[in-house]
Amino acid sequence: MLLVDLQVAARNLTRHTRRNLFLGAALAAVTGLMVLLGALTAGIEGSMMESATTLLTGDVNVGGFFKITSGSAAPLVSGYPRVLAVTRATVPDLDYYTIRGRGWAKAVSDSASMDLVLGGVDIAHEPAVRRVLQPVAGTLDELARPNTMLLFQGQAERLKVGVGDVVTLSAPTERGVNNTVDVRIAVVVKNVGIMSAFSAFIQADTLRGLYSLSPDATGAIHLFLKDREQANLVAARLREELQRQGWRVMEPDPQPYYMKLFQTVPSEDWTGQKLDITTWEDELGQFKQFIWGVKVFTGLLVFVLMVVIVIGILNTLAIAIRERTREIGTLRAIGMQRRKVLWLFMLETLLLGLGGCAFGALAASALAAGLNAAAIGVPEAVQLFLSQEHLTFKLGFGAAATDVLLLTLVTVAASLAPALRAARLKPITAMHHIG
Amino acid sequence: MSIISVRDVSKDYLLGKTQVHALRGVTLTVERGEFLSVAGPSGSGKTTLLNLIGCVDTPTTGVVEVAGRDTSRLTERALTDLRLHQIGFIFQSFNLVQVLSVFQNVEFPLLLQGGLTRAERAVRVQGLLEAVGIREYGRHRPSELSGGQRQRVAVARALVTRPALVLADEPTANLDSQTGQNIIDLMREMNRKDGTTFVFSTHDPKVMAHANAIVRIADGVVAGREPVGAMA
Repeated sequence: MLLVDLQVAARNLTRHTRRNLFLGAALAAVTGLMVLLGALTAGIEGSMMESATTLLTGDVNVGGFFKITSGSAAPLVSGYPRVLAVTRATVPDLDYYTIRGRGWAKAVSDSASMDLVLGGVDIAHEPAVRRVLQPVAGTLDELARPNTMLLFQGQAERLKVGVGDVVTLSAPTERGVNNTVDVRIAVVVKNVGIMSAFSAFIQADTLRGLYSLSPDATGAIHLFLKDREQANLVAARLREELQRQGWRVMEPDPQPYYMKLFQTVPSEDWTGQKLDITTWEDELGQFKQFIWGVKVFTGLLVFVLMVVIVIGILNTLAIAIRERTREIGTLRAIGMQRRKVLWLFMLETLLLGLGGCAFGALAASALAAGLNAAAIGVPEAVQLFLSQEHLTFKLGFGAAATDVLLLTLVTVAASLAPALRAARLKPITAMHHIG
Repeated sequence: MSIISVRDVSKDYLLGKTQVHALRGVTLTVERGEFLSVAGPSGSGKTTLLNLIGCVDTPTTGVVEVAGRDTSRLTERALTDLRLHQIGFIFQSFNLVQVLSVFQNVEFPLLLQGGLTRAERAVRVQGLLEAVGIREYGRHRPSELSGGQRQRVAVARALVTRPALVLADEPTANLDSQTGQNIIDLMREMNRKDGTTFVFSTHDPKVMAHANAIVRIADGVVAGREPVGAMA
């Protein structure tokens, strides 16, 4: 029976080719748009998260603040080797870790200056950085030398410097004086989105020198876990253990460290060292908000299109039911139950929905693959937000299949009311004339 | 035992703001195996009577019993089941499903019934197509057939479930006289061979002549029931 039902549904669809092609094309277009927008958002999120989690944060960070007076604050972890030892013992599911200096300085070249959030790196122990950063001039290995700096392409252009040039870093210290250091540009790397606008890297000991810090002081320990999903549990465990071992640990506060440095910590009434355990989600709150914003925008767009589709389906089926009143009446008269009529109409919509949506998803996937291959450049102003130099679509079978299923379900759900109307038609309509 | 018992049935319709009395106190009994014609001019109430007997409409007052069941006491679902298992319909305009082949149109009621295997269905459908003389058109769509051939398909579809009762609403109205004659002959043969009860409406005297008896309707009332031999 199912085969006959499918045949009836398919043949009814092909009977009104133009109308159903139009509706199928609309479904395909909406699905295609959904798949494309989803792939673009995934691409942005993927590249943004990969670069951000590599450059700005670990999965879990053991950072902290040191306050000489209650009104000042420096992003420091003093005596970090001891903290690291406790951390390693407490986090057995650690994949690897990096030691990062944290600072803020004004970079001054011969012709320009700009404010930069500085990361102090030991490039020999930063395996992931090499995966994310692509040098356009110089080599990353050069960053192992003292008094060297890594700039992003946009920063180098703004400061009008290249590899081998020297810039002066001027940083306010916690004692209220400005220290300076001359650093040589060791490597210029491709921009990686919004991070390229404000963050740069210098050799770790050079950062310590700039802030007159001892060798056992650093900004934060970035922990990379075997399973990122465990970050919150690990952070909670670390807080408890470090507190138990005598460190003062700040209450969880889902903000990036620089927001705390400039807004909350200086106004708190305490001095000395406090550790601050954060997760990648805390540190990337703004990025996540941006991604959320993109998703909301695309969601709204798709919702509006879905409403249009639903109206289209309601209209199309209303016309189909009007046209097929006699047929439905006949089928009811010869013994077809109402639920069977309902099933036949919904099956028809299911076929149309599945066909249109699957075609849309396939076409969008092909288009996305083509655009990926074409490596279309993104305007510089947009790069900042997209974290991409080239338009990159991250296609996932699961996401595309979900889009297809969701839209097909919406289509079928939209057909429910007209299908019910069809099912309620009285069989007398087949014998409509009164003789 | 009678297969149809209509007792004091009336049916009123609202046509715009006007109430139309389509049937006014009709009483009729049809025995099993009858080949009965319901005759009358247009608007006399023939189709309304067939609709009530066919369980596709309900009377305003009175009782309609089909195969021993009071239709007013049945649910919509039970009425549908009654139509599926006890009644076959032949429509004036054939009313075939255009997207199905001739074979599938005839097979469709069997699929709704369930119970037969594919092979059993094929044997029954092919047998009927053979009987109505369109076996070679099994794969054709209705739109590829002539009016007479379509009505043969409709006859085969009405008979495929081996119903106790076949209702035909002006089955020859859209056919030329020779084709109409052939269809009536076909129905008559089925009636003789299988004992299937046929009730068909017509206002064509040539068609009426084939019936065992004629029930005449005028202005919504039964004007009389007469054996064919009694016709003038």
